[in-house]
Order: sequence, then C-alpha cells, then structure tokens
Amino acid sequence: MSEKLYQIISEVFNIEIGKIDETTSPESLEQWDSFNFYVLLNEIEKEFNIKFDIDETLEIKKIGDFKVLLQKRGIEWK
Amino acid sequence: MKNEESLAYFLNESKTIKIDELGKKIRIAILGSFTINGVEETLRVKCSQNNIDCRSFVGEYNQYNQEILRENSELYKFNPELTFLILDVRHILGELFFYPYSLNDLEKKEFSENKIQEIMNLLKTIRKNSKSQVILTELQVPTYSPYGINEQKEEFGIKQMVIEINKKIKHEIKNDNFISILEFNEFVQKYGEQNIFNYKEYFSGDMKISIEYIPKFCNELMRFVIAYTGITKKCIVLDLDNTLWGGVIGEDGFDNIQLGENPVGRSFVEFQKRLLALNQRGIILAINSKNNFDDAMEVIRKHPNMVLREDNFSCVRINWQDKVSNLYEISKELNIGLDSLVFFDDDPVNREFVKHELKQVLVVDLPTDSSQYCNILTNMKNFELLKITDEDIKRKEMYLEQRKRIEFKNEVSNLDEFLKQMDIKIKIKKADNFVIPRISQLTLKTNQFNLTTKRYQHEEISSFSNDKNKIVEGIEVSDKFGNNGITGVYIIEKTDSEWIIDTFLLSCRVMGRGVEDIMLGQIIERAKQENVKKIKGKFIPTAKNKPAENFYKEFNFRKEGDFWVFNTEQETKKVEHIKVIENE
Repeated sequence: MSEKLYQIISEVFNIEIGKIDETTSPESLEQWDSFNFYVLLNEIEKEFNIKFDIDETLEIKKIGDFKVLLQKRGIEWK
Repeated sequence: MKNEESLAYFLNESKTIKIDELGKKIRIAILGSFTINGVEETLRVKCSQNNIDCRSFVGEYNQYNQEILRENSELYKFNPELTFLILDVRHILGELFFYPYSLNDLEKKEFSENKIQEIMNLLKTIRKNSKSQVILTELQVPTYSPYGINEQKEEFGIKQMVIEINKKIKHEIKNDNFISILEFNEFVQKYGEQNIFNYKEYFSGDMKISIEYIPKFCNELMRFVIAYTGITKKCIVLDLDNTLWGGVIGEDGFDNIQLGENPVGRSFVEFQKRLLALNQRGIILAINSKNNFDDAMEVIRKHPNMVLREDNFSCVRINWQDKVSNLYEISKELNIGLDSLVFFDDDPVNREFVKHELKQVLVVDLPTDSSQYCNILTNMKNFELLKITDEDIKRKEMYLEQRKRIEFKNEVSNLDEFLKQMDIKIKIKKADNFVIPRISQLTLKTNQFNLTTKRYQHEEISSFSNDKNKIVEGIEVSDKFGNNGITGVYIIEKTDSEWIIDTFLLSCRVMGRGVEDIMLGQIIERAKQENVKKIKGKFIPTAKNKPAENFYKEFNFRKEGDFWVFNTEQETKKVEHIKVIENE
C-alpha cells in the first residue's frame, strides 16, 4: 500500500512522489508542519478507512512510522 | 487532490490562485477563539471560484480580544470589509462548560449577562474602529448535560443558558444592518456534532471544527461573502422534462408524466415547492425547454399537481432552438446579465454545451436521481442577500409587469407613441433609512447603465447622505403597468463652482425609456437654480457598461481630459413623456 500512501503524502504536501521515502520527516520536509500533519492524518484515515489512536499519532516522526501503524491494521506494505 | 471537498485540496489550490482583474474584490478578517487554520485558505479559493479577489487577515491564535480592543491593531490596519468573529462555547463558558451546576440559576444568569455584554462590546468596538461588516458565530448549544434526561426540568440549565445567550445577542443586533449572526447551530444540525467535533484533533491542536468539516464551514462563511459582494443570482432558468416533472411530455403524454402520486412524482412536486418559495422571495423563474409549446403549456396550465404556474415564470422559451440561444434571449428579455442566471437541466449534454458556451451562467449538475433535486437546491448559497429589501420581494411582480410591457410594446408600433402611452412617472427620493439599503444594493449590482461603476456599501452611502456637500438620491419609476421601485441612483459632489457626478446608474429593468435623460435633465436644472456653472462627470469603461458610453455626449457634454464637462448655460436634451413628482 506504499504507493497509495505516497500518493496521499505527495498530494497533501504538494511534492513529487519521487522525493518521498521512509525517512522523510518534518526535518527534511518544510511543508510538514504541525497543522499539515493533521491534514495528512485525516486524509490517510479517510483513504484507508481507519482511525489512529491519539498516542499513536505522537509516535509518528517519519513516513516509515506510518508503515508500522498501517501494518498493525492489516494493511500490507508492498 | 482528487477530492474537491477536502481541506488538503483547498490548501494546495490556495497557493496557485489566479486573480481575475475584472472581478470583485473583498478584504476579509478572520478572528477565532481556537485553531482555525485552513479557513483562510479555503475562503480564498472559494472566492476565486466566484471571481472574487479575496485579501485576508487572520488574527493570531486566540488573540481576538487584543486585535479588537487595541485601536491600532493589525486588524484595523488591515481595514477589513468583512470580519468573521468565530467564538466557541467551550471557550466562552470556560469551566462552567463542564460543571454547569457549580453555579445556581441566579449566578448563571449573571454569568450569561456578563458574557453577552462582553461579546456585544467586542462587536460594537469593531464597528467603532472600522467600517467592517461583522459576522459573529453563535454559540453551539451543548448536547450533553450531566443531569441527563433531567436537564429539561431545570429552570436555567446549561442548554437553556446557551440558548438565552444566543437569543439575546440576536435580539440586540436585530436592527443593526452591519452585524449579522452565523447560525452555527444550524451548521451543526446539518452535519452533526459527532462529525464536526473531533476529540483527537481538539486535544492535539485545539481544533474545534474538524479538518474534514472546515471546507463545509467555509461554505457557510461564503454565504455572507456572496451577499456582501452582491454576486447573488437573480433568476433560475429551468428545463421541463425530467427537471420540473418526470418523463417527457412529447412522448409520455399529459396523463403519464410523473408529478405527484408516486415516489418519483413526489420528488418533482417538492422541488417545485422549493422553487415557488424562492420565487415568492423575489428570485425570478424562467423556462428553457425543447418541446412543442402547446404540449408543455398544457401541463403548466392544467396539470392538477403542477405547483408552478404560468404567472410564476417571468420569461418562457419553449421551442426547438438550442439552449444557449434561449439563455441569451432570456437574459436579454429580462434585461439581466448572464451572470445572474442559474440553469437547471437534467441533460448532461445540454449542461456541458451551456457551460462551454456561456461561462457566466451557473450550471447546476443535477444527479440522475430526481429525489436529490430538492437537496441540491436548498444547499445552494447563491441567493443570499445581506438584507432583503421591498424591491426584492416585489421583483417577481415587476417582471410579470415587464412581460406585459413587452407584449404591449409589440402592439404599439412606434417607440415614442409607446413611451407616451406608458404614462411613466418618476419620484425623486432622498437617501433616508428606507432608501439607503436599496441605493447601496444598486451600486453593488448595476453593471450596464453605470457610468462609473463605483461600489458602495450601506455604511458609505449612509455617510454620504449626511454630507452637506453631496446629493444622494434614488429614483422610483412607475408606469401604467405598475411600480418598478427604486431603479436609479445618482451621487453628486457639490462645490460652489461645479458639481461632480460621482455615480450615475440606472437598473437595467428600466433602461431605454428616457428615465436616465430625465434624471440628468433635472440635475442640470437644479444646478442652474443654484447658479452652478459647470457639471462634470466621468465615464469609466468596464466590460459591461457600453450602453452608457455615449450618454454624456448626447447631452452636449464636452470631453476635457478624463471628464465630460457641461456648461449649464448650454442647451440640452429634452424629454417630454415622463412626469417628475418632486422630492418626497
């Protein structure tokens, strides 16, 4: 599902898909501010029809962390 | 972003807005008691979709008190035209929101009185320090009480208290034309508290309207923007088959179209009822249908379940012409711009054709499911006005009279003869409290016969009318078919030696009857009486005011630089078929 996830990230942050990888984080991506992060969360929740717990949202420090959370919900990361 | 309803879409779009130089402009300030990120971006995008160039100011997080109470704050430096003050109930009630019964009824009453005073003071201070129209969100009535089903038995419970605060503020501003309430509870009712309030987002960043619902909330704000900028739609143009009734009259016949009686038929009846209600409020209706005229008219005249009848339509085009030509004709016959029209048609091909050919017309994308028609119509925000004037209510009668005038004109062959028989009278009305809203509305909406196209809000007209060096008057026009209401306006700046015509406009409704000539003629007469030697005015060309291009020239004004200048000793044009009833 990485393709779909990267698609959403690219649309929310308005960047090319090629520039996203698992290490992408607020430090490496200017658009990733606290508000946009919640916009991204909201889009991912809608797209995969899931909800993140509030404590999980605090653990997300880079794109790779979404991988763990999605896998936890049985969404496979190809 | 694929989803054009999502906040992410608006955030991205807001970075690439293209400004249409010819469009309207507006300056909007947004002040909030919680995180309102995304509201400003969404509003700017929605404005640009409506050809409005929106400049915006967003107060710092929860700094609305400072912005409003400091006279030299950034808010006032920004000089907004519209200010949204978005307050929320948790913020206003504080701990009382959680522990409403920590105070007794008397203490709660006192508490709510204080809050009302605080909020009223904020509203009045914005008005004092700026010219801005102010829109306050009402407080959301809590759906929870620790008293549960016993809450209803409380004399002055938490719910009652919030309802009281809302009600009293509404009452205080009832007669104030510059302060309005955004009925937030209506918004919450429509979409549901469980959707609008997202606890996770609230605990994470004090977001009290969820990210998902920010765009929908902005739709509510846009209603005020549309009303303020005057881009309100005036006329709904309707197809017939599968739009006003189910089926095709030419094929199914009078007895087999679906109107009432069954589930499909009921959806069309209710759609017609919603249209009739808008018509009663002054939105004019027209028909644009490919049909045999007689077949279709038989339904409109005789079908027992038809809600809209012949007299509800100000203009009827039932023929085999294409829809675009008919829309042109409707706009011409009603004398309103294409940009004042909304078009409803179930046929996607017709819709695409109209969208492509007439970009100014708002084409509504009707779904194939007719049960959704009502929902679409009642969710449209395009008919908003800041204040509904008598002219708006009377409009549909005026257009009916207009239809009869056209029929009469076709009977009388000679134009002069026609005008003489029309028995036109005009009344000159000074700008008082009754006339000012209409004068402002005309300056905002009139495009064709408008010499300078200066847009003035209520407030500005009001201050002009108190200025001894200005003449601000409205012209009421009536004829043998009825009263057209106030349809002409001029604003003149007086000095001892000359009069400058700042604004001169005539609603398209009464164009071509010599009213404009009488208006200017009597300005000239009055100038002579006051021994003013010179009258001058500008013609500022726009995309739409060509009809007024030669107006000054016809009156023997001479072009001097930017101005057209008239020496009051000169001869000028005379109009005899109109009676002037002097200043009321």
